[in-house]
Amino acid sequence: MSSDHENSADTEYQHAEDGGPQPEKHCGHGRGGMGEEVRRKEDQRFITGRGNYVDDVKKPGMLHCELVRSPHAHARIEEIDGSRAMDMDGVVAVLTAEDLLEYDLATMPTLMDDTQDVLVNDKVKFQSQEVAAVIAEDRYVAKDGAEKVDVTYDVLDPVVDADDALEDDAPLIREDIEDKEDNHIFDWETGDEEATAQAFEEADVTVEEEMFYQRLHPAPIETCGAVGDYDPGKDKLTVHMTSQAPHIHRTLFAQVSGIPEHKIRIVSPDVGGGFGNKVPIYPGYVVAAAASYVLEQPVKWVEERSENIQTTGFARDYDMTGEIAATEDGEILAVRTDVLANHGAYNAAAQPSKFPAGFFNIFTGSYDIDAAYASLSAAYTNTAPGGIAYRCSFRVTEAVYLIERMVKVLADELEVDPTEIRRKNFIQPEQFPYESPTGWNYDSGDYESALDLALEMAEYEEYREEQQRRIENDADKLLGIGISSFTEVVGAGPGKTCDIAGVEMFDSAEIRIHPTGKATVRVGVQTQGQGHETTFAQIVAEELGMDVDDIVVEHGDTDTDPYGLGTYGSRSTPVAGAATAVASRKVRDKAKTIAANELEADEGDIEWDRESGEFHVAGAPDRSITITEIAAGAYMNNPAGEEPGLEAVNYYDPPEMTYPFGSYVVVVEVDRETGEVEFEKFVAVDDCGNRINPMVIEGQIHGGLAQGIGTAMMEHVTYDDNGNVTGGDFMNYLLPTAMEIPEFETGHTVTPSPHHPIGAKGVGESPTVGSPPAIVNAVVDAMAHAGVSHVEMPMTPDVVWEALDEAGLAQQPAANLEFELESGEAADD
Amino acid sequence: MKAAQFEHHEPSTVDEAVSLLESLDEPTILAGGQSLVPMLRFRLARPETVVDINGIDSLDYLREENGFLTLGALARHADVENSATVADRYGSFADAAPLVADPQIRNRGTVVGSVAQADPKGDWGSVLLAHDGAVVAHGPDGERTIPADDFFLLPYDTTLAEDELATALRVPTPEPREGSAYHKLKRKTGDYAMAGVAARLVFDDDGRIADAGIGMTAVDITNARAKEAEAHLEGERPSPELLEEAGELAAEESNPESDEHGDASYKERMVDVLTQRALADAAERAGVVERRVPQ
Repeated sequence: MSSDHENSADTEYQHAEDGGPQPEKHCGHGRGGMGEEVRRKEDQRFITGRGNYVDDVKKPGMLHCELVRSPHAHARIEEIDGSRAMDMDGVVAVLTAEDLLEYDLATMPTLMDDTQDVLVNDKVKFQSQEVAAVIAEDRYVAKDGAEKVDVTYDVLDPVVDADDALEDDAPLIREDIEDKEDNHIFDWETGDEEATAQAFEEADVTVEEEMFYQRLHPAPIETCGAVGDYDPGKDKLTVHMTSQAPHIHRTLFAQVSGIPEHKIRIVSPDVGGGFGNKVPIYPGYVVAAAASYVLEQPVKWVEERSENIQTTGFARDYDMTGEIAATEDGEILAVRTDVLANHGAYNAAAQPSKFPAGFFNIFTGSYDIDAAYASLSAAYTNTAPGGIAYRCSFRVTEAVYLIERMVKVLADELEVDPTEIRRKNFIQPEQFPYESPTGWNYDSGDYESALDLALEMAEYEEYREEQQRRIENDADKLLGIGISSFTEVVGAGPGKTCDIAGVEMFDSAEIRIHPTGKATVRVGVQTQGQGHETTFAQIVAEELGMDVDDIVVEHGDTDTDPYGLGTYGSRSTPVAGAATAVASRKVRDKAKTIAANELEADEGDIEWDRESGEFHVAGAPDRSITITEIAAGAYMNNPAGEEPGLEAVNYYDPPEMTYPFGSYVVVVEVDRETGEVEFEKFVAVDDCGNRINPMVIEGQIHGGLAQGIGTAMMEHVTYDDNGNVTGGDFMNYLLPTAMEIPEFETGHTVTPSPHHPIGAKGVGESPTVGSPPAIVNAVVDAMAHAGVSHVEMPMTPDVVWEALDEAGLAQQPAANLEFELESGEAADD
Repeated sequence: MKAAQFEHHEPSTVDEAVSLLESLDEPTILAGGQSLVPMLRFRLARPETVVDINGIDSLDYLREENGFLTLGALARHADVENSATVADRYGSFADAAPLVADPQIRNRGTVVGSVAQADPKGDWGSVLLAHDGAVVAHGPDGERTIPADDFFLLPYDTTLAEDELATALRVPTPEPREGSAYHKLKRKTGDYAMAGVAARLVFDDDGRIADAGIGMTAVDITNARAKEAEAHLEGERPSPELLEEAGELAAEESNPESDEHGDASYKERMVDVLTQRALADAAERAGVVERRVPQ
């Protein structure tokens, strides 16, 4: 089911950048333009098994790499002896830090300017850390060889918990950092501490709740991998790798290796899901490239599943305290939060360098709150490094969870409907552009309309009545209704505030129209399943009146594509999508000159008709010309004095981020006997501004909601006290299957971004960001009448039952069973 | 999967398999691979030799004969799930089959292999115990039948000899007034049980419980019977109180450990809940009582 609510498609844009691209009204022309449900061009090859992933790359003479990993979480390496491995048939090399030191490659910078071991030189800092590499003729021999590398460890006490890590007597993890005496990484704060404290002092009501956003792993279907392929003839290094950001990875490879950047080519072929996991650089990539350089043969490294979960970038792991100060009638005066962040053994978060806590900054959410303050401390622990943006815009997920949970806590404290609190505090449509108390500029929004639509779709009032009935009847299954009215912040840059390793976060598109009127579009972002090959083609189709089938979109090859910062943080449409629209308009400008020549009219009389996708002479719609005809003109009948050809490139630095939003309503049944939670209804209303392809959006929403359910209900990377990963494979790191996913009902409103050339915002991450608090709110809501104010994620049956039991709601089954003997003789009580 | 090297043997008869088991050094048997393949993949298992029994066609059956439901060693979980015989007469089997792992694994994994693996979190051992079933084994000295009660020793350890192949398992065909059920609590599809209970009730003409069987999953070092609960039920007419008492007794008899599937106290409580649920279903399926759940 899908529900439409065209909210403000005809809005007069109030603050489009002076001279910058202006949003246009879009309608689509029936050939695959904006708003059309074009089937995904890429699916043909994926569905028929003809995708080309890193592990599909095969090169003559290719060798295979297996990493030797530490069984200990914290241990000094006393000796590495690779001789038994080297004696094996088929083993070509055993590499250790010592070998890499020769090339200055034993360490690599993280995206947050920390230094991570590629292969451990001195001390292991987390379980499964990379200690040595075996290069062999096939992957089985490589694995056999890795088992025969003898490493002598002096095992040290590990510290796993961030709280414990900051104790005075905690083992020091980072002895490699000069003068480092503790495990503290950084403190960060935002907002006005004093004003916030004042508001708390003066408020009628304050509420506080502690909540842990557990460590998650993005767990894409395809694990990480690389094929390093150094060509000594051309002195050029090609690295095929699972990368969400090939261009910035090329720059980093150049900086780390000393190989000049024009002698490096990064190819990110088809990528089987990324979700932030494939933004950082991992030791395996470096080893594969370095080994190829040294051995002058291609070297492939592909992770196993458990290596992926145990060592590559995790997400979340924020231990948060939330507080809200409010008047007794529910007006929120201030919000305050304190966070302890576990960053693992290295500070290897993946976010714009000036934002150590990412976009946690917008923790005031969809609400107009005067005072806000957040403080955060980050700690090193003997766990895998990370803090990556798992289908989210750099920690906005944690921020949204905090505020949406706290609004529910406040509503329960005041004993009012949570929708009432939300309505009372929403930023109103006329307040946009809205500056948040922490200084962030929200572009546009109409939060109440989205909430209204979601409530209507969810039959909210009926469920509230049913919920009450069940409480009164002491029913076996309680009903809970959870809401989340979230606001996301996506589309980093602008470049002046957002950079990755110093490179400003712009993005790019290059459009070439060929003589026969077909087009090749190359973009600086990199799809991992988002559907760029379709949606970016639709933007061009819309802007140039072309048929979407006449456009091919390419990406993921640094030798041919324009530089860009990659795909994560829902930035592709806001940034590269804008670049694509602007580049299209540049083509259109030139096409106009050619159209005038072809139509033998004055250029000033040539009009572009978006509806028909054609140029025509003003006042003479019959005298029209399509882009196909114009392309022929550009190459075969070019106007005198004009540069031949028809192409354009645009590097787009967004003036601001975009702020998609939505309201989700989740209804759950909680089994009082077992603690099991079942979804009764799941409504998601999203607003991502103008919509390029509604079907692709719906697919994104479905996938993200499934991941939100995984987050809320079962996913958790766990460790024991010795630093052993106990949630490091799919037996123990639980991912939801189709069986755990309910039917979703999606709807949308449309509030265009005023500063985006096509009025679009990012959408891919909204459901992952917005759904966990709605789900937790629903489970809490089922027990709120008995005083339950919070349940920690993941809400497995035992966790929920614990909450039921503490609230006196847990129940035995037989109390509600009645028996009738076959003879009719009653045997019940 | 990058398993360590092993020698792969593919016998086509039971005798051939048994003589391989006898002659090879510490052979490992491969049936559906449900447990062995992940262990090979993690190199937790490093067998020198693997005896793959998938080519022994005579073991691929599920049938009622001579007063037993018998499942050959190549009967897959999916065969049980799709069997009309099972659906009609063996409630606990019909309940358990679709709760094992996921569809892909159910298409390969075998019931006998699962029992022989003797994972205390496996589902079929409890069903076998509740039904007073037995494992049929072939060794160098021929065939023997091991009652379920004598089969499980320790986690992953049974009374099967090294050179014996479990060729079948069997349970008695149902009495006229018999019903059975299996209830399993899990965190997600494909997960092992947090707790599971199989129950089987046989009623006499008087509507009293003549025979009761209760098998428990994931709450002891092996699949285990709740003997006191069974004894408490026998000779009684079913009532909510009786089921409640049986549930409590089963919970007391269980001996769970705290782990990623929950605290011991929670699991104990769930044994209570699942026992009552399974008994209620079993009684209803026996056609002796009708259950009404008030709204």
